[in-house]
Amino acid sequence: MPDSLSRREALQALGAGAFLFAGAPVRIHPAEDGTFTVYTGKVELGQGSRTELTQAVAEELRVPVARIRLVMGDTGLCPDDGGTYSSLTTPLNVPAIRQAAADYRGGPLTPPSDWKILGTPVSNVRGRDIVTGAYPYPTDLHVDEMLHARVVRAPHYRATLVSLDGPAAGGIIHTGDLIAAMAADPVSAARLAGNVKTQWSPLAFPVNPSDHAALAAWFKANSTPPPENIQPGAKYPPLTRRGDAAKALSAADHRRSSHFWLPYIAHTPMEPRAALAIWKDGAVEIHSGTQTPFPSRAEVAKALDLPESKVRIIAINPGGGFGGKHRADCEIEAARLARIAGKPVKVAWTREEEFTCSYHRPAGLVEIESSVGAHGKLDAWVHRNYNSGAPGLPTPYDTPNVSCEFHRTPAPVRQGPYRSLAAVANVFARESHIDDWAAATRTDPWEFRMHNLTDARLRAVLEELREDKPGQGPSGMACTIEKDARIALRAEVEIEGGTLRLKRFVFVGEYGAIVNPLNLRNQVTGALIMGIGGALFEEVRFDVTTQRTRRLADYRVPRFADIPEIEVHLIDRRDLPSAGAGESAITMTAPAIANAVFAATGQRFTRLPFRIDKLPGKSG
Amino acid sequence: MKLNVNGRAMSAPAPEETSLLVFLRDFLHLTGTKYGCGEGSCGACTVLIDGRETRSCLVKAASVANQRITTIEGIGGGHLHPVQQAFLDVEAFQCGFCTPGMIVASTALLAGNPAPTRTQVRDRLQGHICRCGAYPRIVEAVLLASRVVRHA
Repeated sequence: MPDSLSRREALQALGAGAFLFAGAPVRIHPAEDGTFTVYTGKVELGQGSRTELTQAVAEELRVPVARIRLVMGDTGLCPDDGGTYSSLTTPLNVPAIRQAAADYRGGPLTPPSDWKILGTPVSNVRGRDIVTGAYPYPTDLHVDEMLHARVVRAPHYRATLVSLDGPAAGGIIHTGDLIAAMAADPVSAARLAGNVKTQWSPLAFPVNPSDHAALAAWFKANSTPPPENIQPGAKYPPLTRRGDAAKALSAADHRRSSHFWLPYIAHTPMEPRAALAIWKDGAVEIHSGTQTPFPSRAEVAKALDLPESKVRIIAINPGGGFGGKHRADCEIEAARLARIAGKPVKVAWTREEEFTCSYHRPAGLVEIESSVGAHGKLDAWVHRNYNSGAPGLPTPYDTPNVSCEFHRTPAPVRQGPYRSLAAVANVFARESHIDDWAAATRTDPWEFRMHNLTDARLRAVLEELREDKPGQGPSGMACTIEKDARIALRAEVEIEGGTLRLKRFVFVGEYGAIVNPLNLRNQVTGALIMGIGGALFEEVRFDVTTQRTRRLADYRVPRFADIPEIEVHLIDRRDLPSAGAGESAITMTAPAIANAVFAATGQRFTRLPFRIDKLPGKSG
Repeated sequence: MKLNVNGRAMSAPAPEETSLLVFLRDFLHLTGTKYGCGEGSCGACTVLIDGRETRSCLVKAASVANQRITTIEGIGGGHLHPVQQAFLDVEAFQCGFCTPGMIVASTALLAGNPAPTRTQVRDRLQGHICRCGAYPRIVEAVLLASRVVRHA
């Protein structure tokens, strides 16, 4: 990004309010009515980026929020601010937009201590459209002459086409690996697709993804250890080493070893994905709910053998993403079909397609071996993650001998990003293992953690957690440092008649300078709740050739009755940079629940989702 | 096919098997009612039929030709319904995709029970999924709307 001087020069050279840099798109554009249009490549998915970025501009331009209009995620108009993932909008994009707006104003950046709009509970700027049903989602798009497409798919996860017997009538396109019916309305398109008779030869999975023991063994047998020389400053280093963990372990008197397992799970956004493709003069414009408009542009260009200049992606706020809307599958289908049809084509996946044609959160195996020395201090820590990923690997605890490793493996099914990705696996494993150490050393779990932590910010979070007085009954806790935030959760549970009930969650989080407390509470609460699904219910099931999870009725997600009373305490540190917050709280739910069940019953859950039916009839 | 939607007669030619959901969305272009699952498991497609909360994905449009259909677009009658206002005040949404169904169902809930308890709200909305997990605020919004309606 150019520095502020060149921005000023550009402004003076233009003699107008618009910023145009050599090759760089406009960021802030004033209108005569006193409003400002601001361009960002980021996307709104429900995580509140539109409102936060609006606040950032309003703060620095010294104008009310109502005078800012954001254009988001349009590759034809917006700068490439990177994809919308990894909770990067708050730590990276808010500062960039603040700086651009401060430069536009021609003054210094407003320090957080002087914030008047940032740091305040500004309501969702599109809230009125959401409650009236006027807010447009990708599936709502409609243009004149538009055709609705229904793709004909194999019933198996992977298959090759053996025969195709289409109806004599038109409306069926068969191009390469894509078969689709198209009509002016979706009912007719579905009817046409239903009349296409196909035979497929299924390809078996290399290992049944639902056979967890076999899959874990397959992951290990096919894994590659992390490279020894890791780039310093890597965002998710696949290897963190200090001391000599192997030597310290072999010399230790008190060792523990445990294994943890997570299955494939589905993002299950409320809105299945959809894309509308419109061709004009050899170029295609695609409206979709992608989280990654710029990488999707490259994917579409490659798939259709076009230069990127002939592809424009216009991201429309989707009904949920959670890491599931990164890849341009639906966009490519719409673009291919529209090119052949010569008309705009909308592809809106059914719920079954959303389950079976999207990628999943990786399954994973985590192994931890550790030792505790004299005085109850962790001495060695070896943490190996197979397949699920590196996020959340580095331990926040003070341990002199550490080896935290991500071992890459091939995967039997398509897998990809998910809210917090592997931090869910790694934090679940670490915080469960830590809890076992607390029990083994007859130490209170809170005391054990404090005894092994020097990070002042995380200690402050744990101190705040202890201020809350738990209710009667068993509870468990978890904490971590994730995406530069410090977070902790205590879960209070009730176990009766073999059933587990979540009674109360108390969460404490410190995310540096809070950008919008109203939105932050919403995000944290939602992430904790999403974590209940992964902890208690969610698993995508397969057999040897087919994904069996195909309907929402087959896939339990959290509902009203599952939700405990949730208290969220936020520590606002205006002296620290703002940390991303849309994801990390999801990592706390499973270990805090597991540790509460352990406190209640002595039973240690090591696999997600927890098998509640295995609980004893009465709690101790 | 001709239906009474939000107090207006609305018609469009549609195949006989068209569901009420698809008729509203793709034939009448009333897109506030959402498709989430197509099997009545998520509640995103909820509308009122003669005041009764109904999953529009499970009903054929042709079967409700003589009934009054109310969608999110008509729920406030040109203004914000107190439930809509409460969802806005509490910010009881994130992505907002489940919100129309939640709001429509909540208006039916309050019409039948103007002073529900927290548990009654949760029980009644149990068939609705909010994948973003705005559940606690949704309950707060319905309770707020209930107080507003009773004191109006």
